[in-house]
Amino acid sequence: MKRPIHTEGPSEGDGTVHGDAVADTTVALIRERSAAGELVSEPEIALFLERHVATPDTSMAGDCVTALLARLLLENEDLKALRGADSQWYYSSRSMTGEYAEILLHAQEGPVRLIAETVRHSARIYQRPVPLEIFTEPPFNLAYRQVLDCLATMAEIEGCDDIATTTTSSSGVYLYSTKHLEAVHAEMLAEWFDVGQAENP
Amino acid sequence: MSGYGGWAGRVLRVDLSTGGIRVEDTIERYKDFLGGTGIGYKVMWDEVPPGAKPFDPENRIVFAVGPLAGTGAPCNGRTAITTLWPTCWPLPLVASGHMGGHFAAKLKYAGYDAIVIQGKADHPVWLMIEDRKVEIRDARGIWGQGTRAATCAISEIMGRDAVVAAIGQAGENLAPMSIVLSGASHSAGGIGSVMGSKNLKAIGVHGSGGVRIAGNKDEWERLIKYHLSLLGANNQHVVPNSPQPWAEFYDPNSRWNASRGRRWGGAAHPVDTGACDPHDLNRIAYRSNNAAHFLGDDVWKYTVRGNGCASCPVRCHTILKVPSVSSKYDIPAVGQKTCVGLKFGANFFKELPGGPKGATGLEANMVGLHLADDLGVWCNYGQLQRDFIKLYHDGVIEKKLGAREYKSYSWGKYDKGDPSFLFELLPRIAGKVGELGTALGLGTGHLLERWNLSEETWRKDKKLGYWKLGHPKHHASDEVGQCGLLVNLIYNRDAVCHSHSNFTRNGLPLPIQKRLAADIWGAPEAVDGIGDFKPMHRSKARMAKWSLLRKELHDSLSLCNWMGPWAASPLRERGYSGDDSMESMLYSLATGDRKNREELDAVAERIFLLHRALTIRGMGTKEMRTRHDTIPEWVYTDKSGKAPFTKGAVHMDRKDVQVALDMFYDELGLDRATGAPTRATYRKFGLNDVADELAKTKLVPA
Repeated sequence: MKRPIHTEGPSEGDGTVHGDAVADTTVALIRERSAAGELVSEPEIALFLERHVATPDTSMAGDCVTALLARLLLENEDLKALRGADSQWYYSSRSMTGEYAEILLHAQEGPVRLIAETVRHSARIYQRPVPLEIFTEPPFNLAYRQVLDCLATMAEIEGCDDIATTTTSSSGVYLYSTKHLEAVHAEMLAEWFDVGQAENP
Repeated sequence: MSGYGGWAGRVLRVDLSTGGIRVEDTIERYKDFLGGTGIGYKVMWDEVPPGAKPFDPENRIVFAVGPLAGTGAPCNGRTAITTLWPTCWPLPLVASGHMGGHFAAKLKYAGYDAIVIQGKADHPVWLMIEDRKVEIRDARGIWGQGTRAATCAISEIMGRDAVVAAIGQAGENLAPMSIVLSGASHSAGGIGSVMGSKNLKAIGVHGSGGVRIAGNKDEWERLIKYHLSLLGANNQHVVPNSPQPWAEFYDPNSRWNASRGRRWGGAAHPVDTGACDPHDLNRIAYRSNNAAHFLGDDVWKYTVRGNGCASCPVRCHTILKVPSVSSKYDIPAVGQKTCVGLKFGANFFKELPGGPKGATGLEANMVGLHLADDLGVWCNYGQLQRDFIKLYHDGVIEKKLGAREYKSYSWGKYDKGDPSFLFELLPRIAGKVGELGTALGLGTGHLLERWNLSEETWRKDKKLGYWKLGHPKHHASDEVGQCGLLVNLIYNRDAVCHSHSNFTRNGLPLPIQKRLAADIWGAPEAVDGIGDFKPMHRSKARMAKWSLLRKELHDSLSLCNWMGPWAASPLRERGYSGDDSMESMLYSLATGDRKNREELDAVAERIFLLHRALTIRGMGTKEMRTRHDTIPEWVYTDKSGKAPFTKGAVHMDRKDVQVALDMFYDELGLDRATGAPTRATYRKFGLNDVADELAKTKLVPA
């Protein structure tokens, strides 16, 4: 039977992997992934440790990794966690902001949620409608057709009633949330961003 | 010489009528006006009599730079060119054009802060400046040629390190809608014809000297790095246009459009612009691709790199390589420009196959920028194109042209959006050929008068973007509320002021803008969300005054008002605050004349007041409020019928605007009734002599 890796600190002479090494490896992994613009989930961390740190005699039990991550969050100010639908996700604020991490988290939750939450965030924080095209660019990376399909889906499912569209005189399509932006204001802003600013460079 | 750093210390005076060339001491005569527009206004006040016309020999054209030109201060490449403005209608009044590039730095290295040109040569000439050697040279061999050929010819004489500022055929033919072009793409609009009227084709300048920094060199180095750390992208947009891992905020409208995967695809070896973390000062040049911003994302694949001005890391002039245009239109495949100049061609068309950002639109823009810069035609911030579209589609052009001239244009091509139509139109504007070419080359006000059209029609139609005096709005009330309106009242051309809009467009969420606004202008009410404007507040008047003073400072120090002021920054750890003492810190260290922000702002206010005095003297009335600071009717109208200050409305309230004017005049020490400076205000800023002269003709409020 494999013994669990001790992750709560250094230990001596009992054959286990040194706790500091596991902690350091985990922190480095999260930071590296953040620097590459990615979140990392708890199962990914567990799998990584299993593959790279564990020995034939030791294993990374799930609760063990959870405890390790909880400790690392307390010990490292830059490490942050986000609760996703199926897992906890981690990033380092040294190279990634919470706002960007939220977008990546929503991307994990599917394109409908990604679009809806981005539109709501924009309307709430910036009082701005969002041009549809931004969802085809990084970090959203959706195909144009996919975005249109999502809009059609949103019109039919519950929970997205607040997502509305407006079309400018230059045929630009903008999305906004009626929870945070009045239609008349959103329409004016979309026209300004799509047409007015180009005429007033 | 005074011992000050920054300034070269000498102003070059050239009389083209007599051939006389002399120098005068900058410090003795102009230090209180810094440089740039300050020197320009001072020369115009002292030397150009009221009633003079732009093309009269006694008119001056003043190429002036400031104490920061040619130093290591970021964004110091601006040359201000001040004269009587030929497109200002119905009266020519004083105004300034501004060009970037390397002319300003070279002029300093040659040992001059300004060139003041008067008189009129009896044949075409160009001015050669090589350090202390200054000659008026025969330009008959290059007269009639475009700016490109003229620049090449002069460069062959002076060498590749020289910088040439030349006019094209438009300026030679005295078309008021004309530019002077420096280098490949740096133009100053409106003044080409004034050079032409003096038979001055070009100025070539080469300098082998430097600019002395008066202060401690280590301190200067630290200040430059500090300034660089506060820089955003073009127009001081401080957030990226798409989410980036390092960024808390983004704004799809930002000109900070670098991102991993966005590449300069036209470069010999394509370059990925990358994430561009704001702390990486060596990647500032990658942040903005203005061509992609204005012409669409397809342009990334044609982008070679950014280009720009002396000591500016922002590189807002995008170099494009569009191979298809050389065989199709016989123009160079490579071209460069920034801002509205990038859209010079497509803006003429109401319809283009594929839309303005399609392939044909890009071709039209390449044709437009090459023709306009070579011929030296000015667009007046897009007013030329807006006028043309309206006049054509309203049938006015057909009515005003004789049948023969009308048929000489390929209107079928134009209707289809064929860029080759521009080869018919633009040379005729530059050459003042026919009624259409002549009328379009006059500028809006004179065109309307020539064709017996009502200016009121233009002042009512928001789509035309017209403001007053023959010129358009420039970041006005529909964008920055009362502050934008007030900024647009003052000048005798479009305001060309970005101090206010660079702040409101910086991309930060409104609560952060309001926090920064409270620090700078005393209250968060200074800024509103667009389409969510609120009634006038004293802090908005302060913001308007600050915006104008920053513009005058920049135009006088040679800093770029398209990049600054640096009131916000991209730095989260600073709470996104910038530093609006930057100008005074740079000035103090460079010159050794220690002035804090308030003290340097007072100099800017003196410069502003001198401009106001020139306007009053030029118009022969002190009634600025009713006769100069006028507001077009479209400002008060909204097609939807919404009331002002309701969500989605951008129009202004008439009573509120009067309150705004009162507060604005109060802030600037102007008389509420007339909008003219009071004697006390002139006295406060050391302009007693100006007040005395104006008082002789009752142009100072009682």
